[in-house]
Parts: sequence; structure tokens; C-alpha cells
Amino acid sequence: MLVACAGIILVGMAMVAPPQRVDDAADAMIAERAHDILVSRCLRCHGGVREQAGLNLAWRDRALQTRAKGPPAIIPGNAAASALLTRVMHTDPELRMPAEAPALSADEVATLRAWIDAGAVYPVLWSLRPIAEQMPAPGPESMWNTDGIDRAVSLRLASAGIPLPAEAAPESLVRRAALDITGLPPDAALVSAYVADPSPAQWERTVDALLASPAFGERWARVWLDLARYADTKGYEKDARRDVWRFRDWLIDAWNSDMPYDQFTERLIAGDLLPGATENDRIATTFHRLTLTNDEGGTDNEEFRVAAVMDRSVTTWLAWMGTSMQCVQCHAHPYDTIDHRDYYTSLAYFNQTADTDREDDSPLLHVAWERGTTTVPVMQELPANEQRATNVFTRGNWRALGDAVAPGTPACFPPQGTQHADRLGLAQWIMDPANPRAARVEANRIWETIFGRGLVETLEDFGEAGARPSDVVLLDVVASRLQKLGWSRKALIGEIIKSRTYRMSAQPSDAALRIDPENRMMSRAPRFRLEAEAIRDQSLAVAGILDRTMHGPPVFPHQPDGTWMVVYSGDGWTTSEGGDRYRRAVYTFWRRSSPHPSLMNFDAVSRETCTVRRIRTNTPLAALAAMNDPTFVEAAAAFAQRAIDATPGASDAERARWMLSAALVRTPRHEECARLAQLVAGERAAATTATQPTSELSVWSAAAATIMNLDEFLSRT
Amino acid sequence: MSHHHPRPRMVATPAEYMAELQAMTRRQFLGNSAWGIGGIALAAMMGSEKSAHAKAVSLPPAGSPIDPLMVRAPHFAARAKRVIFIHLAGAPSQHELFDWKPALVRHNGQPCPDELLKGEHFAFIKGHPTLLGTPYKFARYGRSGQELSELIPHLASVADDLCIVKSCTTEQFNHAPAQLLLHTGDPRFGGASMGSWLTYGLGSEASELPGFVVLVSGDKTPDAGKSVWGSGFLPGAFQGVQCRASGDPVLYVQNPEGVDRAARRRMLDALQDLNSMAAASAADPETDARIAQYELAFRMQASVPDAMDIAHEDAATLEAYGATPGKASFANNCLLARRLSERGVRFVQLFDWGWDAHGTNATDDIHTQLPKKCKESDRPVAALINDLRQRGLLDETLIVWGGEFGRTPMAEFRDGKKDFFGRDHHPHCFTVLLAGGGCNAGTTYGETDELGCRVVRDPVPVKDLQATILHLLGLDHRRLAYRHAGLERHLTGVTPDARVHSGLIA
Repeated sequence: MLVACAGIILVGMAMVAPPQRVDDAADAMIAERAHDILVSRCLRCHGGVREQAGLNLAWRDRALQTRAKGPPAIIPGNAAASALLTRVMHTDPELRMPAEAPALSADEVATLRAWIDAGAVYPVLWSLRPIAEQMPAPGPESMWNTDGIDRAVSLRLASAGIPLPAEAAPESLVRRAALDITGLPPDAALVSAYVADPSPAQWERTVDALLASPAFGERWARVWLDLARYADTKGYEKDARRDVWRFRDWLIDAWNSDMPYDQFTERLIAGDLLPGATENDRIATTFHRLTLTNDEGGTDNEEFRVAAVMDRSVTTWLAWMGTSMQCVQCHAHPYDTIDHRDYYTSLAYFNQTADTDREDDSPLLHVAWERGTTTVPVMQELPANEQRATNVFTRGNWRALGDAVAPGTPACFPPQGTQHADRLGLAQWIMDPANPRAARVEANRIWETIFGRGLVETLEDFGEAGARPSDVVLLDVVASRLQKLGWSRKALIGEIIKSRTYRMSAQPSDAALRIDPENRMMSRAPRFRLEAEAIRDQSLAVAGILDRTMHGPPVFPHQPDGTWMVVYSGDGWTTSEGGDRYRRAVYTFWRRSSPHPSLMNFDAVSRETCTVRRIRTNTPLAALAAMNDPTFVEAAAAFAQRAIDATPGASDAERARWMLSAALVRTPRHEECARLAQLVAGERAAATTATQPTSELSVWSAAAATIMNLDEFLSRT
Repeated sequence: MSHHHPRPRMVATPAEYMAELQAMTRRQFLGNSAWGIGGIALAAMMGSEKSAHAKAVSLPPAGSPIDPLMVRAPHFAARAKRVIFIHLAGAPSQHELFDWKPALVRHNGQPCPDELLKGEHFAFIKGHPTLLGTPYKFARYGRSGQELSELIPHLASVADDLCIVKSCTTEQFNHAPAQLLLHTGDPRFGGASMGSWLTYGLGSEASELPGFVVLVSGDKTPDAGKSVWGSGFLPGAFQGVQCRASGDPVLYVQNPEGVDRAARRRMLDALQDLNSMAAASAADPETDARIAQYELAFRMQASVPDAMDIAHEDAATLEAYGATPGKASFANNCLLARRLSERGVRFVQLFDWGWDAHGTNATDDIHTQLPKKCKESDRPVAALINDLRQRGLLDETLIVWGGEFGRTPMAEFRDGKKDFFGRDHHPHCFTVLLAGGGCNAGTTYGETDELGCRVVRDPVPVKDLQATILHLLGLDHRRLAYRHAGLERHLTGVTPDARVHSGLIA
């Protein structure tokens, strides 16, 4: 039963008391606050995991049940008789709840009392409410009124008393957009065109040019490679190689051709089930064949087949719905209204494929390409007469079979429509306009990829225990745009980057620092360290040695000897020759048990499971990699050579100026050029006393390495 | 330098956690005048003569302004400050080393009783297996009279330092999932390893070394790959750092050819000056973090090779361990574990490959391979215990020794061949040794049945072992938590049923 009021929707259950009509915004606010108290103070013990004293407060109907061990925790309309209230107010510390934790404040108790007296109506989780469609009202400044993003941001800043931020310098903007869109620094021509004409029309042309670059797909595929737990090996003990690069190329192409997100989703989850499925549609299903295969001797293939099927279901819910299903394998969800059984109904969608943890990874699709044929593991449905039964596993143990279940989705989400009860039906249900979650999750991921932090910070959890959106209006603006743009993600990225919000300066105002220290209101452009791939790619690009060849089998850039030591495997790393050493990081061979250490030092992930979010850290190991990894050392030398060639006869300060400008994409300050020239002079002086002659190249390599380790160079600014 | 010691948060999101570390740093910075002195010392240590570096005085002397490894206080008084976890990868046989079963020897070669096979799944054993009694002699050692095998005479000489846990159990009987369970609390990938949890909870006292160091011998990484020292859902700063005997001791720690330490210093001086110029105009505190990060890296370039260089150990010490400078060996790794521990590294994890004695040939049987592995490892582990004791570090350093599961009381005889003897994987019981760090030394804990098949007294599931280790480090396994993907994650799992075994604690 849905009751809408004042923008907040509440759900009441008809089974005990008639649903309460909540006519009052204040009541709705109290319900929100009361529910937050339950989530933060009660569900840890009285939620889906522990159900202490037989009490589960996560579900309204269960909270209202008469229990063997006492009266109902909640009696709607009668707080005084509700055990929940008497226990949180109890004077005996042994009986007072929450146990072994500070008591609720008087204010919290009052909130619970008012809420129960008003009917104890549970609010609908924010992420499951319909997406607000209306455009925010125009704000005070016309420059900020053209689109919903700018209106939402400027209204929020104005109401907080923060002046609207100035625009960033044109050249910085082009660098920012190039790194965000393509993961590479901009071409000089693109920068000079916009610096010469920093008009809105020219900005649009700049952004469109970047979006049209094939580098766009290479950069954005990275996000989905982490979600897809893409690697070039099978995982577990032997971690043998597996040819799946065709899938990586499929992802890159899907981004570049701007495949709408609904079609993208159908193909990744169920491309094989599409009517008239093409070869490409089947390659897309490799997405769910990227689960681990265990070739270890003595393993039970059924055990690891089941593990892979579980991973497919969990990955689907995590990537598309921002829901952690993993915990529901063994018990109900601790915070959300997802039941133990729901794990298995969800699993049932994925339990009908022909793969069985075999060493040959069959079923395989043979795909022709320019250098012959390759095979990729794909999803293939069992014929009707061989379909498997899916059972609940008692406490998650795959050998302890409980009830048989049919495919289905948890009741807290929108109901199933007319979709088939198969993977394609599941994909269509996810992308149905009635499901607000999918659009919010993907829009938020796009926002996070651009701005470094999601509007919902916990990309992996849009449930009760996850973070609330920093700006619910803004999130819905972006999510509804994604839907209205026909699920075109490229168009949405374009709209975001063309906004005035995107173009703001990273320089915070005093008011911004005071009122919005964490920058949750977008009071300045976020500044953060680039992701692992961009750090490598940018250095190679600035050095002029990046090989832009696209697609194909993975490559083997420099990696320290002895990095690969894998049990029962004689496989070794043979460094690629020629241009393949300097390809973009997205093409680097990814061994699950031992991913490239330089990328890992910059927070890349091992890709054994679906990873929704990389956490950025600054460790000395990252600094060591940036200074000493041969790839970066070679890049510095090549950049130095490039500078020497480009500035014949220049003074040290002039050459330093050229280098700083080429790397940082801005006009260097005089003192910066002087300091770099001073370094170069110092290197020459040291060289005169050295036993070995030092060349101009090595002198300038020191300057290049310095620039390539600058905080500004390593950051998106 | 004095530290504030805020408690680790019970449940933190990554952002909350980093914000707290930042706040701690600010408190330290503002509340601690010694900071400035440390900063001056830092500037002096940098060898900088330039006044520009007076600005560097504002830097913390150790670690960056958001140093995730900043020392944090435990939940309660700790018995141990640090851990050396020696993992014998592949799983050593408890029957040949610790769990003496005369009845198994008596029934050697006889068919295994049916009741032991009911509902059993084996990794390799097919058909009806026969019992395998150990060919090795056992005796009692030390004042404590602990029972140990002739294969490990040096460990026997320190029997009074050992707490022998004969009743460990696991849920997994394949290597990779069992290793993951032991180290991360989850047989699936994606969990955070014990060393990550401990550095997350306590930080590290080794300001110029990684807080969690991994040393591998036997030429192979563990079956489950580097995930057994991965940080999983915890921030990457807490992952284990592999230190190596050949090549760079830590990847990328050596300057490239043609760049000496003075040249690196000149480059860093310029880098820091340029960063400071940018910070002055951009007012971004992250730039200060970057400067500190590079200074720490520079110090690590000296401190890591120094810590990893055993050449200056005296001859008696090298002899005691059987260590040879320049060689990659388990013995060297034990000696390195001591060097790292005395420098304050919180968690040293050793992996030694080669214990998976199935008996399919002479390189994996109990007559040739197992004695060879024992010979390699017995003396260094005993030397490590003695060395730590002599240096006054044993009481505060917990040593854990064990594999990922046990081995069957039955012979495997793969494919029916009976030329060699070995045992299959066995999850129902295995032996783990504890030493130092407040463990109940000189005792044996738990008991198995007369054939050494199942635990009959004081079972210690892996999660209990983890909870007990955390307890010795002063951490409550339920309070050491991290919220990830809607779940409150713990090393000991989501459900609260792990328990601390007081019988393992002195």
C-alpha cells in the first residue's frame, strides 16, 4: 500500500492494523527519523542476521508479530504498550536496549514514541521511490539555469550562502575534460582552439570531439571491467590463461558506439537469449563467464559451478542494483527487507547454463579475427529437458538442499511484469522504467567516475545501511536525464561535462571551505589523484611514446622479474616487444593471482570479484612506482628527448617552461621554470664530478621525472 | 614522539575512516609541540641546507598527514604487539609431526572404518581407503613434556615455548579456499587478510617500513595468489607488501640505473618545491599529503634495503638460523621476520611452499619430501623463537605456525598406486603452533579421536583462532569492523559466533 504525501512515500502493511493514512509531512519526517534509529541502533542484533530474541525489526510485519518470548515489539498506535519503547526506556541496565551500547537519547525515544503512536508506518527506502521528474526551479543566476544539474547545484549553494564558483581557466578545463572523457591528456590543438575561443559553443565542440574519440571507450570500459571482474586468467590455484579479450573489446566498442544502457544490460546478462542473437550478442555474455574456474586437482566441479552461479547473481545485483546479495546466501539481509529465500530465487535465473567449471571452459564460441580464430567462453542455456532444479541452501551450504524455488526477485523491489522467468526477463525487469534503482545506480556511477565521489558515496549499497545521497534532487535530475536520453550514457556524460557545474574552478572560496569543507555541495571542482590506468597512460602520452593501437590480445609491458610465481604453473611473463610495451593500460595482461604491481600500487583491484568502487590511497609504494617503474623511467627519458627536440637552442628556463606547459596544460609561473632550471643546473654540476659522463638527455630526464611526479600532474584538477 | 591513541572505530565507511585519520593528524599536529621538533629533524635528515625546507617543518616526522598506518590504541590491554604468521602452504601433516596416535600405527594398512567415511568427501581419495600410521617416532620434550616427532628436533628443544593446538578445524578442503578462509575469514575472494585487519585496527610502529610484510619461500606464491595478503574491501594501504630476497626487496624501491641517492634527493627537493608552489596557489591539503608520501618513499628506499640485508648479522646468528645472505630461503625469511619485527612491523607473514604431501611421487610424500621440508624449516623456526627471546621480544611477538587444513589418517594412493605414501586433504582437524605473544606456552590444547580423524575436545574453528589472535593483540573481534556493501564485516565473519579460547592464553 503506497501512500504519497509531501514528497515522501510510506508503506503500511494491512495485516495487523489498517494502513495509516499519513497526511502530514511532519509524520513522514518522524517516520524517516524513527526508521533511521532502527537501522543504526537496533538492526545489528534485531535484523536479518541475528534476530535476537526472535525479533526482526527490518520488516514491519515481523516487528508487529506476537512473539514466543513476549509481546509484539511494536503495537501501532500504542507506544506505551509496545515492547520496543519499554525496553529502550528500561531502568534496569540488564534489560535496557540497545544491549551493551549507549542508551537512546531522550529525543530518540520521543521520536520512536511519536512514530509508533502515529501508526509505526515504515518509510519506503529513498532509492526505491519514483525518480522525481520535474526540473528544479530556476536560481538567481541565468548562467546556472540552462539545465537541471546547474539549477540543483546553484540553488543548494545559494541557500547555503556559498557564492557560485568562478569558471576554471580554459586550458585547465580542457585537460580536465580530456582526462575524464578519454583518460588521456588533450591534444595541443584542442587546447589552443578553446583557449582562443572560450565560448559555450566552442566548449560544446570540444566536449563532442572528446566524446567522439575512440579513447573514450577505452577509458570508460575500465569501469565495467572492474564490475565484470575481467581478467585474462581463470583464478584459483592454477590461474591459467583464458582468452577473453574479445569481451574487453566488445565493452570498448559498446561505449564508443554508445549502445543504450538497456540494450547493453540485456546483452551482458542475456545476449544469448535475444531473438536472433548475433555473434556480438553472444560475446557480450562472456561478462558472466568471467567468474573463476577452479582447475585445482581434487576440486568438486559442482561446488565451483555453484560458486560461479552465485557470483553471477551477486554481481548482477551489485553492479546494476547497488544491492549486496552476498550476505543473503546464509541468512536474511541484516538491514534490507531481502529474505534468505530471495537469494535462491535470484540465483535460479542463472542456474540453467551449460558451463560446469570444466578446465576447457566450455561452452565456447569460436570467433574469427584478423589473425585467425579465438574462442571465448559464453553463456549458453541448457535445453528444456536438462534444466536444473534450484534449491535453497540451508545456511548457505550447497550440499544442504532446502525447498526448491522458481526464479524471482525480492518483494521490496518493483513487482515482476510480463517478463519471462529467465536471464533475459531479469535484464528487462532491471531496465523497466518502473524500477528507479537501475537508473539511479548507473547515473551515480557516471557521476562518481567524473567527479571522484558518487552523489551516493556507497556505490555498492543503495539500501538501508548505505549512505544517503548528498543531494537527492541532483541525483534524480541525473537519473531521470539518463532515462530521458534513451539510456544514452554518452549523451549524459556530455550533458554533465557541458554544464556550468562541471566547469567550475577547483579553487575553493573562503565560504566554501567554511560551510562545505567536505565539498558535498559541489562548491568547487573536486581535485583527486587519477586512477591507475590514467597515470600510466598520461605519462606515456606526454612522453610521446603511447601506442594508440586498439583491441586485440593482451600485452605485456615492463614488469619486475619474479613477480609471477604461481603454484603448479610454469607460465611466465615475457615482456612485449615494440609498441605493445607502450599500449594503454586497459590492454595490459591481467593475472588474477598477480595483477600488474604498478597498477596495483595505484589502487587497481585484483578482479577476482565484482568491484564497484576503488578506494584511493596514497602510499609510499605508489610514489616508488611512479619514480622507479621502468615504464615511467622510459617515459621520463622520452619526454626529455621530446623537449630537447622541440626547443633547440632554448635556455634552460625556456625548455623548462615548454615541458611544464606540455605536461600540466597551463601557463607555468616564472618561479616554477626557474626552479626546474635550477635542478637542471644542479644535475650538470653533479655530472662534472661524476666518473661517468652525463648527457643532456639524462640531465633533462631528471627534470621530466620531476614534472611527472608532481601532485598536479598525477591529479585531476 | 608521543601519539594520541584514539580507539579504532567500530564500524567505519572508507570516507569516515579517512576523515578520522585526518582529524587525528590535525589533533596531533595542533596538540603536540614536539611535532615541530620532529619536523626540524626531518629537514635535517633530508640533508637539505636550503631555507625553503623550513616549510617542511610543518610535516609530520613519520607518515603523511593522512597516514593510514598511524599507531592506534587497541580496545584493551594487548598481550602481543605484533604477529609473525608462518604459513606452511599445502598443509603439513599433523600425524607425522604432532598428533601421535598409537592406534593408527597399530591399524596401519587396514581398511578405514566405515563410520569415518560416512558423508565424507575427499579431494583425491577414491574407493575405500586404508589407514596410514606414521613411520616416525614421538617423544616428550621439555619441562612441559610436550609430545613431538623426531622430524622436528629443534622445535622439540623449544617445546616449553610452544602452545600446541591440536584441535583446529576448517570448512574447506581445497587449498585456495582454505587459505583464503584462514587468512581472510572468507573462503571466497574479496575479504581482507588478517594483516590488513591488524594494520587497519592498530596502525604500525614501523614508520619507514610497510606495516604488513610478506615473505615467500619455496619459489611459489600461495594457491590463492596474492589475495591471501590482500586488503580486500579495506583500503589498499593495508595490503601486505611482498619483500623479496632477490631483485628489489620491495618492488620499485631501487632507483633506476644512473640515479644515485644524491640525485634522487635533488629531484625530490625540486619536486617538493614545485609542489609547495602549487599548494600555495591551490590551497589543497592533499598536496601536503603528496609531499609527505614522497618523503616517506625516499626514506623507505634506505630503510627497506637495510632491514632486508642480513649480511651484517653475526656468524652465530646466521648459523643458528641456517641463513645464507643473498639466498632466497625459508631460513633467511625467519631471520628477516625477526629484523622486521624488531623494527616495529605489525604483521609479518611467511609463506613456505612444498607441504602438500599426497604421496604421488618422491617429491610429495611423507618419507622423502616431508623430512626435507622439516629439515629446511625446523631449525629456523626454533632459532627465531630463541632469538626473539634473547632480544626481549618474544613476550610481545606472537608467532603462529600452521597450514590451511590437516591431512587424512588414511593413505591416499592416488590412482591405486602404492609406491609412495602420503595423505589427502583433511578439514576436520589440524595442528597449529603458537609461541610468544602471551600465548599459553608449554601446553597442548584440544584433542582428537584415537585415529586422529576428528576433534573430541576443545575444537578451534579457524574463526576462533582468528578471534583469539586478535584478542592477544588487544582487539575485540566484534568491534574490529568495517562496513562494506551493506554488511558489517569482521575478520571472523558476519555472524557473531566466533569465540576467544582462554585456554590458549597465558
